[in-house]
Amino acid sequence: MQAIEDAEVTVAARDKPIPSESSKEGTDEISTIYLPRKFSKCSRTDLAVLISRMLTFLIQINDSLALSKPENARGLTRFHSRVPPGISVYNYLIRLTKYSSLEHCVLLTAVYYIDLLSSVYPVFTLSSLTVHRFLLTATTVASKGLCDSFCTNTHYAKVGGVHSSELNILECEFLKRVNYRILPRDDNIDWCKLETKLQKFTLYEEPEMGQNSRPQNSLKNSGYNVLDAYFRKIVQLVGSYASSPDKSKVVNYVLRPSSPIKDGSRDSTHDHALSSQTSLESISTRTINSDSKPKSHEDEEPSARKRNLDSEAHPNGKDKVPSPGESKLKKMTNNQRTPNINHHSYS
Amino acid sequence: MTSSSQFKQLEKLGNGTYATVYKGLNKTTGVYVALKEVKLDSEEGTPSTAIREISLMKELKHENIVRLYDVIHTENKLTLVFEYMDNDLKKYMDSRTVGNNPQGLELSLVKYFHWQLLEGVSFCHESKILHRDLKPQNLLINNKGQLKLGDFGLARAFGIPVNTFSSEVVTLWYRAPDVLMGSRTYSTSIDMWSCGCILAEMITGKPLFPGTNDEEQLKLIFEIMGTPNESTWSGVSSLPKYNPNFSQKLPRDLRTILQPHTKEPLDDNLINLLHGLLQLNPDMRLSAKQALHHPWFAEYYQHP
Repeated sequence: MQAIEDAEVTVAARDKPIPSESSKEGTDEISTIYLPRKFSKCSRTDLAVLISRMLTFLIQINDSLALSKPENARGLTRFHSRVPPGISVYNYLIRLTKYSSLEHCVLLTAVYYIDLLSSVYPVFTLSSLTVHRFLLTATTVASKGLCDSFCTNTHYAKVGGVHSSELNILECEFLKRVNYRILPRDDNIDWCKLETKLQKFTLYEEPEMGQNSRPQNSLKNSGYNVLDAYFRKIVQLVGSYASSPDKSKVVNYVLRPSSPIKDGSRDSTHDHALSSQTSLESISTRTINSDSKPKSHEDEEPSARKRNLDSEAHPNGKDKVPSPGESKLKKMTNNQRTPNINHHSYS
Repeated sequence: MTSSSQFKQLEKLGNGTYATVYKGLNKTTGVYVALKEVKLDSEEGTPSTAIREISLMKELKHENIVRLYDVIHTENKLTLVFEYMDNDLKKYMDSRTVGNNPQGLELSLVKYFHWQLLEGVSFCHESKILHRDLKPQNLLINNKGQLKLGDFGLARAFGIPVNTFSSEVVTLWYRAPDVLMGSRTYSTSIDMWSCGCILAEMITGKPLFPGTNDEEQLKLIFEIMGTPNESTWSGVSSLPKYNPNFSQKLPRDLRTILQPHTKEPLDDNLINLLHGLLQLNPDMRLSAKQALHHPWFAEYYQHP
């Protein structure tokens, strides 16, 4: 909760000098994309752009806060790289989206997983050192846990630029840390925190778990407003090009206006959900160097179960994904090689 | 958290879809458990079936759903610690075969089992979870006559917008006609068709639609339930695998088909419930909640 408020303050503060800055470039040259109110109807490229803006934004905050801490106070996690990988968050996310056919809900769930993991594993923060391994792990877990169409870890690892054995370890680490609570439901983070605090696999056996100590909604009726709430919040925070620290794509995003009566009530529900528990609350603020380092893995064939890439993920030439050999890859089959990530990007 | 040394591994209970299951004894409590061992594969990492089974089942506490107590991580395997059940419905029905003749269960037992099945399914659906592989093998029973849903390896949460809904779900004999015709927009009704098939199978001791491939499966279904058309099922002709040349059959009377296989008379309420569950059009199929309120179960909900 605190982090999102900080974030909002920062946005507001940064918004002020924007007019002069953007007038230099000519405000009217920045086109505006009106997004559907349902994230599942957006193009995945737009979602990836928005999410990479959001992540870049969080990374800026966390990186600068980490600098103010003594080095020995910064925690080390399995998600850490020794130095920030050379591929930008934007390019990395576009790459994963495209070559691993990430679905809309997987992209948003990855953002949700930042809050989920941070809430039970405070040493972890999203930083320029953790973001790549985190994104790879989060999208792998979300695809396998939520979708009917997904690839093998070998494939995800290859696209993500790490050895599959490392991805397997990261996946295990993530699942253990969040106690397998990977469904983006409204009160999932509260349950996850409680289980972690009590060191229990499940709380059902606890006789002392009275009504008071339980998260408010009964588990049974918990819904799936979380991802919608994240979507709206992200558009609100970094939809405008001016307020985004990630300048990879020159475009403004605005939610399509809704019909006043029906959607008005829905919005209030979402806002409530967001303010109570689904905010990007736990993005805390530490970071440190690590000895671990992603390795490239050139010799394996990807053996995806299903490769059905729509062209939507790559609608124009501006989205440059490192794809040696194949510049416009629209369909990938089991027999086609996954392009390797540029090695120099990880050093 | 539990460690594997807490359990004594006893005899093998079977090979699941992605794991081996052993009977186990909790040395501290003296309680029997089922230990499902999942190998961690270098290519797959943690199998998605295990991720689903754990993430979904830990949310499901209901007396008609097998409980997942814990997960134990060791070097290269995961062990899921489940509530122990004595048997499954398939083995139980097989054990009652006389010679080569499968026998149905007594109708009072059919009713008790089916009530419990519907209670479990209803709870899953309220929790926004589809089981997607209901069949007698996955319904576990114990010596107290309790029936519980198990094996959530194909299950999924619904409510999260997902583009890819696989139509390769549910064991063929229990797969709904809309799914067989390639529908990817199914929801809870997919489980209700399976419930209807299981109900008929408990009555007769034989699977109702034992097809060997998708085409034959649809043919067997249409031979009994009638071939659907736009007037009986609006939208059927736009399903991907709808074939206008399906041989045209009229619906047959279920009682005439089932009665020869059971000694007890099948009453109108039971036949009516079967029809409600085996509606070809998924929108017309009874929900689990509705089925639980069906007059055939009047004795349960009127005298709880």
